[in-house]
Amino acid sequence: MKGQEWYQADDVAEEYDDKRFSRGGRLIDRREKRALLEAVGPVEGREILEIACGTGRFTTMLARRGADVVGLDISAAMLRQGREKARRAGVADHLEFLRGDAGRLPFPDDHFDTVVAMRFFHLADDPEGFLREMRRVASDRIVFDTFNRFSARSIYNWALPMGSRLYSKSEVAVLLAKADLTLVDVADDFLVPYGLYRAIPNALAAPIRAADEAVGALPTADHFASVSYWTARVR
Amino acid sequence: MKESLLEILCCPLDKHDLELEDAEYEENEVVSGTLICTECGERYPIEDGIPNLLPPDMREGTPA
Repeated sequence: MKGQEWYQADDVAEEYDDKRFSRGGRLIDRREKRALLEAVGPVEGREILEIACGTGRFTTMLARRGADVVGLDISAAMLRQGREKARRAGVADHLEFLRGDAGRLPFPDDHFDTVVAMRFFHLADDPEGFLREMRRVASDRIVFDTFNRFSARSIYNWALPMGSRLYSKSEVAVLLAKADLTLVDVADDFLVPYGLYRAIPNALAAPIRAADEAVGALPTADHFASVSYWTARVR
Repeated sequence: MKESLLEILCCPLDKHDLELEDAEYEENEVVSGTLICTECGERYPIEDGIPNLLPPDMREGTPA
């Protein structure tokens, strides 16, 4: 099955959170949410758009913290899960979901304070076009993550259901410049690739994570980091 | 979707305003209807309360 079909299938959407973010995956979930909050800054009263929001892990969290959020995704099945999650969390009044194409967003210029895309750019066939479109609808901030070239992640890329695009730091710098964005901050994380965390029980994940963080604190470790979280400002 | 979302939505192709037609409501939510571009006339369905703003070439039945 092609990646896009796999992602949009009903049964995949229904089991998506359970499969990806239970067990060792819970650590990833927590770490990613913390990284996003750090990158986004204060969210209260902000208008935020999330591209490729999937089942709404981040949209629900941002709405809960007082942002007005719109989540966009290609998959109706994923969005149905997102809406359920928003209702359960009692944030449905501050959160809207819609289907759309990240390359042709159905919003006017400069509408959102912040535009976010997590776990998106490794699947993007036209990163330059997508980033330009995110910038078009943002008035202040853009936040996204990339999987890095020369990281432990390369080892298990073959196991992903769809080809995964890796970026070097300089490639991202060029992308930002081309989209008229100024880099504010970049944070690196996860020396051990996600796939390993997903496969192991939580009890084991924590010690591995601790070792991971200890190594990650060494000055040379940045070059091997698996994920980078980028914050950029509209020029 | 809530009807207020209409204030920010626009046509993904030409970015012009959309008009809501044949709307059905359930508890302040638009659960079905059609969004029509006031400029090019392209129609975007609201399915299960979720507006589908995918451009015509990316909808179901269209090779991705």
